[in-house]
Amino acid sequence: MSTVSFRGVSKRFGVSEVLHPLDLDIRTGEFVSVLGPSGSGKTTLLNVAAGFLAPTQGKFFVDERDITSLPPRRRNIGMVFQNYALFPHMDVGANVAYGLRVRKISSAEIATRVARALQTVQLEGWESRAIASLSGGQQQRVALARAMVIEPDILLMDEPLGALDRQLRKNVQLEIRRMHLRAPRTTLYVTHDQEEALVMSDRVTVMRSGRIEQIGTAEELYHSPANTFVARFLGESNLIPGEVIDVTSGKARLSVPGFERPLVGRAAAGVGKGMKAAAMIRPENIRPRPGGLPGRIVERVFLGEITAMRLVVADGIRLWSRLLGADVPQTETMDVGWRAEDVSILPDEARSK
Amino acid sequence: MTEGMPQKSGDALGAALLLAPALLVIAIAFLTPLARLAALSFSSPQGVLAAYRELLGDEVFWIVLRNTIGLAAIVTIITLTGGFALALALTRLGGGWRLALFAAVVLPLWISVLVRTFSWMLLLERNGPINEAMVATGVIGQPVQLLFNFTGVTIAMVHVLLPYAVLPIYAALIKIDPALLKASEGLGASFATTFRRVLLPLSARGVATAAAFVFLLSLSFFVTPALLGGANNMTVPMLIDTFVNERLAWPLAGAASMLLLGLVLACIAVIGRFVPLGGLAEAR
Amino acid sequence: MARAIGLKLFAALASAIIVLPVIAVIPVAFSAHSYARLPPEAWSLRWWAAFFADPTWFAALIVSLEVAVLSAVACIVLGTSAALGMNRLPPVARKLLAGVFLGPIIAPTIVLAVGLYSLARSVGLVGSLLGLVIAHTMLAMPYAVLNIGVSLAALDPRLALAAAGLGADRWRIFRTITLPLILPGIAGGAVFAFVTSFDEVVLAIFLSGPQVKTLPVRIWEEIRVEYTPVVAVAATIMIVLAITGAALGRLLGRVRQEARA
Repeated sequence: MSTVSFRGVSKRFGVSEVLHPLDLDIRTGEFVSVLGPSGSGKTTLLNVAAGFLAPTQGKFFVDERDITSLPPRRRNIGMVFQNYALFPHMDVGANVAYGLRVRKISSAEIATRVARALQTVQLEGWESRAIASLSGGQQQRVALARAMVIEPDILLMDEPLGALDRQLRKNVQLEIRRMHLRAPRTTLYVTHDQEEALVMSDRVTVMRSGRIEQIGTAEELYHSPANTFVARFLGESNLIPGEVIDVTSGKARLSVPGFERPLVGRAAAGVGKGMKAAAMIRPENIRPRPGGLPGRIVERVFLGEITAMRLVVADGIRLWSRLLGADVPQTETMDVGWRAEDVSILPDEARSK
Repeated sequence: MTEGMPQKSGDALGAALLLAPALLVIAIAFLTPLARLAALSFSSPQGVLAAYRELLGDEVFWIVLRNTIGLAAIVTIITLTGGFALALALTRLGGGWRLALFAAVVLPLWISVLVRTFSWMLLLERNGPINEAMVATGVIGQPVQLLFNFTGVTIAMVHVLLPYAVLPIYAALIKIDPALLKASEGLGASFATTFRRVLLPLSARGVATAAAFVFLLSLSFFVTPALLGGANNMTVPMLIDTFVNERLAWPLAGAASMLLLGLVLACIAVIGRFVPLGGLAEAR
Repeated sequence: MARAIGLKLFAALASAIIVLPVIAVIPVAFSAHSYARLPPEAWSLRWWAAFFADPTWFAALIVSLEVAVLSAVACIVLGTSAALGMNRLPPVARKLLAGVFLGPIIAPTIVLAVGLYSLARSVGLVGSLLGLVIAHTMLAMPYAVLNIGVSLAALDPRLALAAAGLGADRWRIFRTITLPLILPGIAGGAVFAFVTSFDEVVLAIFLSGPQVKTLPVRIWEEIRVEYTPVVAVAATIMIVLAITGAALGRLLGRVRQEARA
């Protein structure tokens, strides 16, 4: 288990800068997700960590050692690919044993370690099975076993659950989380699925266009996003555009056309007086409040335990509210309110461009 | 996912080393002989271009050339027609029948052209089974001369080259969306019209590839015309053989070889404007 | 329904017309007479005995087998190496090289034969095993390169990456991952090269000599003069070999399909 550091790492292909110089520190045994849309550079970041790509600039450290120029096979990394990349001509046992054979470990010890690895992924005794006979979920677990059995310093996973169906994906996410909690291993996990990142990670890194937008725990990113991109990427959000009146001790006041009084909320970094900004309020925080802001319900969407409602308030501003079934009013109007601590005032790039 | 692919420097060197042995064989056994022939064609004691002048001024050569091209043309036309019919049948057949016909078409490709030609020699004889069958069924009154003439050579060459026509045409036909044919018929077109206005244009590339390939091979045929043709059916390859083995006239052999090669390359150039050449490799 | 029956009839007829003339020579090998006539009026195995008793026929068979085996081995070694090399090059270079390798397929064999004969004479390789092997390797290698290239292209590139991540160096990756997975393609190439060499006539005619002569060349010499059914025996042996090759080729193609799934 090791610490991992990216220092000033950037990557350019021809004229396009796929990664802008960035820093990232991962603690020992920490599970960090790298979340972002396609083209955000997250896979490139992973490939630099693996050694398949050399960074244009910057250095990559494992346990304070600079291994930037080390080829992949000397890095002691465990990799899990999206399509598993299991060797089709070898059985499960031979696949899992591959890395151990390379390291010239004795056959007896290989057998023991392979058995143990398969036990961890709940495929005990499956050594002689053919890869072709396995389902997607089973193949994925073999791939995991193969990566972990070599006791890598770091585990690198590139959207490993992408090929699985929804239900299976949810199950395996939890499974990976449990395995990690039982035996923590420094892990870098790339995904475009925000729910996945939230479920499995100790910390989440959100990337866009080759830059890290924000890094923090799932709660931090969810409740205190740094900007509208992060807010929109994780969970549902309402964004109300306005202009910042002032900022005092971390709180900002936002003037919004149509609201008599300014909106108050936590000020994100970089928000200043006179700036164009957006107030971000999560739908579950917009609750019925008798005597509050009058709203007209124009749409209802039944989502099972939650019902989402579209409201029109003030001067045509539309907000989404999400409530548990019992709290959903049957009327056409609903007065709503929220707490100031549920509001984040974020820099609104779309308008400031 | 090219974004994540590892780039290895020094790959060009590794590639060069890996390719070297094969390219060496090509250089020694392919390029050098051709270069040597070219050199020989210019090495007549009578002058640099003397061999060419003698060849092109010789009436016999022009007759032989005409034979060769004429034979190739007729063989190509017949083979294309039969090949198209077979390819079409293949597309319309189901599972087992398609496999069987496919196997029948492909099997002869594995058997030596010499053996196939020899078989035809036995079949086309004056007293051979074909003549006997035709006389017995009353198609003809007397056995016909099928060997050592244009007819025999054509029959045998068509038979040998048929698979080379079927495969590219089949590959082209199989790509046509069957819904198009249904649409055509649904709109009231007869089979002939559908064939003419839908099938043929859409498979034109495959047909052109087949035509080019069959024509090319026909020009180069040596064994079959040599064994089945008569004195009047000499082809350019046979002529080259006599230059070497009978007359020991190397400059002439070289010149005739270069001319034949030029003819083949010209064909490829012409067809290459209409059809991607990768098709030729796949045809094999 | 009539259409379907007509189609099947056509298929059956066409198959017969294509295949029967090819194997028409086989009955003659079992003829009892000393002239070759189709169909034979009496049957016997005498010509088979004659074939194997005759030193020149037997020697020709041995030469053919030797040349075919050596050519096949040379083809797949050079072909695999070349295919691996081509795989590392950018697509443009790859297309160019594919064109170069097409040369032996497109050039008229008679021209290559005459050129090789001239070259072989100058280095004393006419009528030698080496000369024949080099010539046949040149002829069959392009097919091997292209065939194995197809197998290589079908390989999932991530398998090599996974192996590298697990610590394998390039040679190990080739030995444990690449080679086993392209083996059907290589085997197919070997079978094809073997049969191509065994069947080959024109190059062999010009490069054979009195001592070293392939079976097709022996047949060629024989049927231009007077011949007995012993020639048909030789031809039948060639047909059996060819059909075996075709069946093997088909089998290996099927193995390759399954490996890909």
